[in-house]
Amino acid sequence: MRLPKFEYFEPKTLEAALNLLTQNGNNAHLLAGGTDVLVKMRNGRLKPEAVIGLQGIEDLNGIHFDSGKGLAIGATAKLAEVASNPDVLKHYPALAFAAGVMANVQVRNMGTIAGNLCNAAPSAENAPPLMAMGAEVALANLQGDRRIALHQFFRGPGLTAMEHGEIMTAILVPFPVPKSGASYKRVSARCGVDIAAVCVSAWVALDGEVCKDVRIVLGAVAPTPMRAVGAESFMREQTWTQELIETAAAQAVQESKPISDVRASADYRKKMVAVLTLRALEQAYERAIKN
Amino acid sequence: MKHHINFSVNGDDYSLAVDPWRTLNELLREDLNLTGTKLGCGTGDCGACTVMVDGRTVSSCLTLAVSVNGKSVTTVEGLAPSGEELHPIQESFIKTGAIQCGFCTAGMEMSALHLLNNNPEPTEKEIRAGLSGNLCRCTGYNQIVEAISVAAEQIRDSEHEKEER
Amino acid sequence: MKRFNIVGTDVPRTDAEAKARGTAIYTDDMKLPGMLYGKILRSPLPHALIRNIDISRAASLPGVKCVITGEDTPKIKYGNWRLFPETQDEYPLAVEKVRFIGDEVAAVAAIDNDTAEEALELIKVEYEELPGVFDVDSSILPAAPVIHDYCPSNISVNRKIKYGDIEKGFAEADYVREDTFTMQSVSHAYLEPCSALAQVDLDGRITLWTSTQVPYIIQCLLASTLNMRENDIRVIKPFVGGGFGGKMELRAWEFCAAFIAKKTGRPVKFTLSREEEFLTGRRRHPMKIRSRVGFKKDGTLVAKDLRIQLDGGAYNAMGPTATFLCGNFGAMLYRYPNYRFHGEHIYTNKPPASAMRGFGAPQSLYATEIQMNLAAEELGIDPIDIRLKNAQVSGDKIPDVATISSCGFIESIKAVADMSGWKEKRKNLKPGQGIGIGCYSFISGGVFNWFNTQYPFSAAEVRAFSDGTVHLLTMASDIGQGSDTVLKQILAEELGLNMGDIRITSADTSMTPQADLGSWGSRVTLMAGNAVIDAAKKIKERLFGALSARFNLNVIHEIECKNGRVQAVTRPDYGLTFGEAVALVQKANRGEPLVARGSYTPRGKGLVTPAFGFGAQVAEVEVDRQTGLVEVKQMWTAHDCGTVINPRSVEGQLAGSIQMGLGYALSEQFVMDGGKTLNTSFVDYKMPTAADMPPSQVVHVDTYEPEGPMGAKEAGEGLASPTAPAISDAVYHATGYRCMDLPVTPEKILEGMKKD
Repeated sequence: MRLPKFEYFEPKTLEAALNLLTQNGNNAHLLAGGTDVLVKMRNGRLKPEAVIGLQGIEDLNGIHFDSGKGLAIGATAKLAEVASNPDVLKHYPALAFAAGVMANVQVRNMGTIAGNLCNAAPSAENAPPLMAMGAEVALANLQGDRRIALHQFFRGPGLTAMEHGEIMTAILVPFPVPKSGASYKRVSARCGVDIAAVCVSAWVALDGEVCKDVRIVLGAVAPTPMRAVGAESFMREQTWTQELIETAAAQAVQESKPISDVRASADYRKKMVAVLTLRALEQAYERAIKN
Repeated sequence: MKHHINFSVNGDDYSLAVDPWRTLNELLREDLNLTGTKLGCGTGDCGACTVMVDGRTVSSCLTLAVSVNGKSVTTVEGLAPSGEELHPIQESFIKTGAIQCGFCTAGMEMSALHLLNNNPEPTEKEIRAGLSGNLCRCTGYNQIVEAISVAAEQIRDSEHEKEER
Repeated sequence: MKRFNIVGTDVPRTDAEAKARGTAIYTDDMKLPGMLYGKILRSPLPHALIRNIDISRAASLPGVKCVITGEDTPKIKYGNWRLFPETQDEYPLAVEKVRFIGDEVAAVAAIDNDTAEEALELIKVEYEELPGVFDVDSSILPAAPVIHDYCPSNISVNRKIKYGDIEKGFAEADYVREDTFTMQSVSHAYLEPCSALAQVDLDGRITLWTSTQVPYIIQCLLASTLNMRENDIRVIKPFVGGGFGGKMELRAWEFCAAFIAKKTGRPVKFTLSREEEFLTGRRRHPMKIRSRVGFKKDGTLVAKDLRIQLDGGAYNAMGPTATFLCGNFGAMLYRYPNYRFHGEHIYTNKPPASAMRGFGAPQSLYATEIQMNLAAEELGIDPIDIRLKNAQVSGDKIPDVATISSCGFIESIKAVADMSGWKEKRKNLKPGQGIGIGCYSFISGGVFNWFNTQYPFSAAEVRAFSDGTVHLLTMASDIGQGSDTVLKQILAEELGLNMGDIRITSADTSMTPQADLGSWGSRVTLMAGNAVIDAAKKIKERLFGALSARFNLNVIHEIECKNGRVQAVTRPDYGLTFGEAVALVQKANRGEPLVARGSYTPRGKGLVTPAFGFGAQVAEVEVDRQTGLVEVKQMWTAHDCGTVINPRSVEGQLAGSIQMGLGYALSEQFVMDGGKTLNTSFVDYKMPTAADMPPSQVVHVDTYEPEGPMGAKEAGEGLASPTAPAISDAVYHATGYRCMDLPVTPEKILEGMKKD
């Protein structure tokens, strides 16, 4: 289908964008890379009267890293830029990997992490590693700014904690603490043009052989990307053993709430939560001991 | 309301008014009659509509025409302006049998160009990954992969020659 | 092997440069002055009566020039099986009833695409929903809803084949097994969505440019549905972005473009979206196959009883041919002294299935090949050996079908076993690793004239000029497989010319000689190739006569066309350039141009095909025993396509069929919810990408097909069959899971895997 008819705005400043968004009310939709929004408009699932392109706002562009504050990914930074950024590759390899295997080359040249998060698909592939690493998102509105932890951001398929009139300006990831590591694992039917049927991210912080802290995030097995908090609390302060992570993986399965759809059955998804959680924990551990 | 945009395609400057809901693909194919760029799915999955915008490959079906204001677009027609010598990528696609029905070819060539611009010596695996957004139903991709590695070699050779001169 | 100059070499495709430059024109690339844009309104329901259609709001939308429904049309049914008019079950636009989600109900033409789409939303259709049936088992129940009034059983075709004595055969068997297989539906997924553009001239004649494999069939059926004379319709096939069997029938948009062009006097173009293609498009038949086979203790086949139910969807489309052919494929490849087949083509309220690369063979041979392996294991025989024991060879007769002429099947099996290190690997691979085999036999064009063409099956015209060039005209359709190149190669070889000396005009029903049945069933190289040779030989006779007179040659001299010359074989100095020789003929005929027509129609070749291709394939896989994901590590293929006319093209066909076979085996399937296709994008219709393709090695077995042009026969369509059974068998070898219901998904592997 062709795109529906709409007005288009390309503000140069965040303030102008916020004003446009407020003026146009519920009929306005933001556009970062367009790879999700245009598909939804073509399918008739989205019919905005005004589209506000964010690409012209310089402040939203770019990826900034410093070893104190950590990583800040601007809302219009492309997935390909994130995947190939030397600081991301060095300090946040799980994110670089997730951004670098998502969809395909062209989509990664256009799409953004912010767009992927705001689209809030249960399978949003950058959400698990970011949530695992304790990311926050920065939201701006005309009254000011606020930050919200990513794990509180998703409210349901296509639903987020963003209020009308808000724009996501950046994704903030803390600098990795010593002896911590994160990983991202997925299963999909093929190597390109694909979407994960299930994905799991893990982050662990070690103190010797003790698991000081851990986050396990499951994608595409619940209405939103979800933390397996039961599995996490089971692991905290425990000595790292094969049995520990196997039990945690089994616990993660219990917590997941997958459905059956065209990509996989609920049963298969549950099985994959077990396999991927284990693999994700193993890789996170490998990375943590080297860090 | 139509937007006035200025942009270049294959080195030619254009200045025109477009409706905001029109895609770059529609602009190229319907308004500029540059039909070498195809439309295979409209959802950014097949790659037949791939073009370069400011040196990066994008799906022209998911790019709003208004968003190329001030930018430079390269399409398959810009690889080797008509009548001139073929681009090494085109030449190797022809020679290795990488073209059957030809509907994916323009997109494949643009993805190949993007890949080789960023990675002049790709491994076979890197070539295959570089084509992750370009589907083909005829060739099974093998001769396309071969074409790109032949083109890479040829581009490297001709650059060596230039340096030696 | 016979030596050729141009045949057998890697001549680049004739059309490759235009495609590489982006200057090749496909139907949707065309625009004519005043052209309207068409869109089709489709049924949202799988089975319903149309109570009322209100087009008034759509028709009054500014920019809309025409809105039509079935009631506006001549209401003439069509279908490819013209020989049996009762099978012609489809209206160009639905009349009174819709039978699947996507059935075409109305069409709009407007000044642009946006307006046409907007107008579709303004058409109001009142439906009375009827109960639907979505699988063959429910469809044949006595109380099932009837989909077509003419066919109360919902079984539109019954095909039976019988030879030998089946009861006696099974009585002689030491070992009998019966298995049931099911196969999913998959998409052709050609990259170019269908498109058609019609223009009407001042005399009311129509020209239709369309993305088709069968211009002649479109011409005839368009004429009949419009109630026009055949030759008032001209069909031109521009460049086509792939077909694979999915573009071989008249379709609603072709009719609508022509009908509305006639009504409005303006050119009209329809182009489908990918979503329409996936949601409503033709597809490969899902089948349910019950096969009972009997063997002697030593592995010799003695009997086969095959029953196949094809889920045809809402219309016959090319289903009758698929029904016939899968019975024939069931009896091919191995020697079955006693054979019985019963095939049923069954209507359901789903998008119609039709021809797709292999035409029934991928399904039928999947059953054959997997069952062969099941039997081999029980009988304690290696899968290679059981195949060698039963393989068809030259001279074998398939009753009522054909005598096999050239056949490199045994050589193919041996070559592929050798290349792959079969004996070693089948014994010694680690758990999770596996190797498997699949074989095929396929037709080189069909003999059965279901279309009831009144012309030769293929035709060619060659015009020779005194400047040394020739012009080849043929209705054969290059849809990307490379027939223009191959036919030029054959002509260049025959006339001793270079590729650059030949101009080709193809697939234009008004300009090229009548007729050609189109590109399907691997018929073009053999049939159109023979027609080209026939025409070329007639040209040569004329040239040879002129040369003979010019040099006063003894009548016993052999004369040849070679290297751009026409000359006596033993006295090349008695010779002229090709152009000079043409000039002589032309002078002798007082200016009359040198033109010859050739044709080919298979005669005395049974009812199926004039020649058979063969091959064998081995796959090696690694299965992740935790996720069930399969990685295909390597494919080895040995096949017999007779003379290889263009090696790169044949290898391209092979790699393309491996891609399609890989998808069929592992990842591709239409996911249905009743009559609704759920996966309508390339994200969820999972055809393999470049990174999914395994490395592949190939051997062309050297044979010469006496019926084929310069010894050639089919290449590339038969190869659509072996990949799925080979991969499936390798997965079995790796995991112990034997797949009886394609595709081999990770989920099924985890479920069925032997735990150790």
